[in-house]
Amino acid sequence: MAKKTYDLLFKLLLIGDSGVGKTCILFRFSDDAFTSTFISTIGIDFKIKTVELRGKKIKLQIWDTAGQERFHTITTSYYRGAMGIMLVYDITNEKSFENIVKWLRNIDEHANEDVEKMILGNKCDMTDKRVVNKERGEAIAREHGIRFMETSAKSNINIERAFCELAEAILDKTSGRESAENQERVIIDRRNQEKAPGYSKCCA
Amino acid sequence: MSIFKARVKEFEDILTGPQDFIDLKQLRKLAFNGVPDVQSFRALSWKLLLGYLGPRRSSWTTTLAQKRALYKQFIEELVLPPGHESNGGGVDGGDGDKVDSGGVGLQDHPLSEGPESAWNTFFNDNEFLLQIDKDVRRLCPDISFFQQPTDYPCEIVVHSKGEHGRRLHERVVPAVLSSANVERKGLGMTKQQINLITKRSVENYAAMEEGQEAHWEVVQRILFIYAKLNPGQGYVQGMNEIVGPIYYVMASDPDLSYRAHAEADCFFCFTALMSEIRDFFIKTLDDAEGGIKFMMARLSNMLKSKDPSIYELLRSQELHPQYYSFRWLTLLLSQEFPLPDVLRIWDSVFADEQRFDFLIKICCSMILIQRDAILENDFASNVKLLQNYPPIDINVVIAHAGSLA
Repeated sequence: MAKKTYDLLFKLLLIGDSGVGKTCILFRFSDDAFTSTFISTIGIDFKIKTVELRGKKIKLQIWDTAGQERFHTITTSYYRGAMGIMLVYDITNEKSFENIVKWLRNIDEHANEDVEKMILGNKCDMTDKRVVNKERGEAIAREHGIRFMETSAKSNINIERAFCELAEAILDKTSGRESAENQERVIIDRRNQEKAPGYSKCCA
Repeated sequence: MSIFKARVKEFEDILTGPQDFIDLKQLRKLAFNGVPDVQSFRALSWKLLLGYLGPRRSSWTTTLAQKRALYKQFIEELVLPPGHESNGGGVDGGDGDKVDSGGVGLQDHPLSEGPESAWNTFFNDNEFLLQIDKDVRRLCPDISFFQQPTDYPCEIVVHSKGEHGRRLHERVVPAVLSSANVERKGLGMTKQQINLITKRSVENYAAMEEGQEAHWEVVQRILFIYAKLNPGQGYVQGMNEIVGPIYYVMASDPDLSYRAHAEADCFFCFTALMSEIRDFFIKTLDDAEGGIKFMMARLSNMLKSKDPSIYELLRSQELHPQYYSFRWLTLLLSQEFPLPDVLRIWDSVFADEQRFDFLIKICCSMILIQRDAILENDFASNVKLLQNYPPIDINVVIAHAGSLA
């Protein structure tokens, strides 16, 4: 087997309704490019990107899933292994926002209890077509104690930041849990808390 | 005579020869090695191999006429908005006292909430129509074919005379958008606004002007009608990738008398093919014989018997077959290769009487051909390799598959 070129491996999952831009978000993050001509994802797709956080090389293994109900039996089997889940809706599509609740329920049913979650309102460049305002996204995130961000894969807004914040949140957890592995440095870092609207542990 | 010419001659003899009865067994044998890209050979062979046309040539005229008339009826009953004059053949009295029992009664209206209301159904359809709309607008984006206007638009649909909703995608233009426009511009300009919106919606897969329609719009209608006629199954993502190549073949038939009916013929060929693979698309049948998991297991077992070392490696890497073979098998490999290669693969797959044995062999060969790379790679590289199969001469793969016992 190839030798390890990274310190940590994080498995992430992208879920959300069909057509909200999951594949585009992932493509922007992994290849820093945008195309509107993606064929629909059938089953599950996969990308890898290595990022550096706090001096650690973190390999992100990101699974991109098909949005339609039919594929749930196939895609939910990936929830279990995921350490972070990006839940994407489209700010120009009301229904995709309403379905966030359904996706959250899916996560509860199939993912690990301590999985890190983040809600993304994608296509925020399309201001003239917006039907879900930012406050509603923030509200639902606050309600569930989840991080939230508006993104645009097309205009490259917040994509990198979203993945890095999710990865950092996972890193917080793992470094807390596996501090024995890395004794010289125990990181308790909540610096980004105020920068991430909607992320709040004290909302209740 | 070159090998190619000899093959063309063979197809000519069997498809256009003087005999009335087409030897399907012989046709299968020929098509299995690929249908030459000349005349109507492929379109005609597929119609025969999928069972849309029977082997007796003298029956074709009647069959085609009947099926095409039936399809026209489907459009009138399922696509046109309720209350349309050719709906159910009722007289559109307009006075409010005549109720047409066959068609949509005049007591019915768009705001009716009755479960029997045709309008109610009309609006419910929009849910799956929206999904179809998203998918047909991203069909085969690497070629421009589906974005281009067809020479044979569906007349009753494209000449809407201002009536909204005959073009299916008009129904699923984001409602908030139009109301936002109405707010701004007042109610008098509705039609103009609609044009404005549809044109803007997706750059390349734009809707056409009155009197024209793009190929993707035709495919949308085929999928919509299929979903309406198969309510238990409805529309599932990926069906677009199945109908796409069939439609492409029918709609580029050099014989214009056939091409003119590409939509109807494609619909029935697609329906015939779906009757064989529909279980792949039904979640509750995943574990059933004929369901997708069963198919994936067949592939997995074949791999295990052909090359235990690859099988073991993939297993030890926890690279489950569904990471790649779910899509391979569900879509009959239509997303793994460029369109011309897909057509070539489907020649063999449709010619296979033990349908899908050969598909599984092709899939197995795809893995075996990459043996050396797979044995070298780690998990991530292997997923990538299998999910984005590298460019390859498709004949190499097919020949390899042919050599598997």
